[in-house]
Amino acid sequence: MAEQPNTTEYGETGNCVASKIKTLKAPDPWKRPPAEDPWDAFREVELISLDWEQHYRHSLGKTSRFFLALEQGQLLATHCTRCGFTWMPPRPVCARCLSITSWVELSGRGRLASYTVQYYAPAFVRLDAPFVLATVELDGADTLFMHLLRGYGALQDVQVGMPVHVTYAAAAVQHPLHLMWFEPFVEETGWADVEAGERWQAGV
Amino acid sequence: MTGAPEVVIAGLGFSPFSGDRVDASVRDMVVEAVLAALSDGGIDIADVQHGLASYESDHFNRQMTLGAILHDSIAMCPKPTVRIEGGGATGALAMRTAWAYVKSGLCDSIIVYGGEQNGKSVTSATAQQLFALSSDADWEMMVGGTYTGYYATMIREHMRLYGTTEAQFAHIAVKNRRNARSNPIAQKPMDITVADVMASPPVAEPYKLLDCSLLSDGAAAIILSTQEWARSHSSRWASRPPVHFVATGCGTDFMRLGDRPRTYPGLAHFRGKREASQQAYMMAGIKEPLKEIDVAELYDSYSGAELQAYEELGFCEYGQGGPAAESGMFDLDGQLPVNTSGGLLGRGAPVGATGIAQAGEIALQLWNEAGGRQVPGARRGLTDTHAGTGTICVTNIFERRD
Repeated sequence: MAEQPNTTEYGETGNCVASKIKTLKAPDPWKRPPAEDPWDAFREVELISLDWEQHYRHSLGKTSRFFLALEQGQLLATHCTRCGFTWMPPRPVCARCLSITSWVELSGRGRLASYTVQYYAPAFVRLDAPFVLATVELDGADTLFMHLLRGYGALQDVQVGMPVHVTYAAAAVQHPLHLMWFEPFVEETGWADVEAGERWQAGV
Repeated sequence: MTGAPEVVIAGLGFSPFSGDRVDASVRDMVVEAVLAALSDGGIDIADVQHGLASYESDHFNRQMTLGAILHDSIAMCPKPTVRIEGGGATGALAMRTAWAYVKSGLCDSIIVYGGEQNGKSVTSATAQQLFALSSDADWEMMVGGTYTGYYATMIREHMRLYGTTEAQFAHIAVKNRRNARSNPIAQKPMDITVADVMASPPVAEPYKLLDCSLLSDGAAAIILSTQEWARSHSSRWASRPPVHFVATGCGTDFMRLGDRPRTYPGLAHFRGKREASQQAYMMAGIKEPLKEIDVAELYDSYSGAELQAYEELGFCEYGQGGPAAESGMFDLDGQLPVNTSGGLLGRGAPVGATGIAQAGEIALQLWNEAGGRQVPGARRGLTDTHAGTGTICVTNIFERRD
């Protein structure tokens, strides 16, 4: 009989398969005795490491102008001249009446409609957790816009209804949506905490 | 649909739901569920006319056109099949589609097989990322948005509008995991308290770890047919009360919460769920759902989402979901037991299997085969399933007809 690799519960890695993590004898999830387990001869398991990476040339399509305007510190929405609705994020076609829309500029001011403090970030998006994911009612838009809220001081100071303003990135970013984020807006001085934006390393 | 055949459940089966089925691929689990369903109904696969594959994600399953492999794995070639995908609603949309195939006369029998590998073969952060791809990937995922974050945004608005409390939705997290204790396929049966839920680590405020549903490996299969086909091809048919699939509805909403109309649904409501249930109630002739439904499986992707579903399905008024949850009226011994299986919180949620498993739980209840979680005398049951944050919603209704 040919030489067998070790197949203990947390067995030794074989030396001929580079991706092998381990082999094991898996228990029956229904906890039947081996004699009554129809899969008893199929419980020997090999686990391997599998890495697949893809690269995409991703077009921002008909919303590209929104992202290009962010580089100039401008916030663009689209407006439907037929039904009067303003979409933010912009849509090239009104999702209410299917008319082709027009670009309009917003002031970037608004109010916090809802939010959550998220204690983890999804794997491909590099963000320090916890962070505040804000849903904002922007002046001039008929929809709500979701983005990060930064520069809020303490979490207890984040309140639904608080005035916020779009802040634009000064440093280079990886994804164009990270050219902007929200910060609390204070009437007298404008920015509540200008430095907070500079502190943020938005990388993807 | 005058003259259209009645659609019945002829057999059902599950693989165990697990956080980590290291010994099985998705096709292995689907085969387990199909063998169990054929055995349950006393059915020969050679007699089944059509297949239907139910799964959501090529990313999780690591296989495109998985449906073709599932179909050839269960001795169905060269008979026809189709694949259905609708995010979290995949399994319920699969059941609805299979219903239409039988109802229309396209086939007399169809086996719906679904599964998913959402368990520990990827890290939790990768799982959240892959699920986030099913939100608006250009606009919301890229700023760190995940489903827990979106649902948290919704329930926070519900709390603001109606005074709903964290303890009220924690009650649902406790209830469903308690119900899971008498379900042999359940992934995470637990004996916990509201205080345990409140003390669990925050994930996306106000949701904490125990408010969140499970990442699961698992599969489920159901054979739907005409009554005539079941009579002649299921050796189990005569020994069980007939369970009919009597009504189905489907509603939708914008993917982005912020694109939805501001007054209703706003951020706090699942408009598509209301639409789906109204369609199904009309088809089933239901006017007072709380009184006319005996048992329900609702889509508790988060504990608060079940509370919001009570309202959209008309089990209570808007704003009353919290007090209703706390009152115990949806507990196993309450007026309308909800998620007797343990739901997504306790039984588990392998996406492509979830909606099928919900229907399976209702059938077990109507057959009086639900063991320690049996609702005495249950004659009519409902499943509620949705994708995204209510982006695609499906309501399916089943009745015992003896």
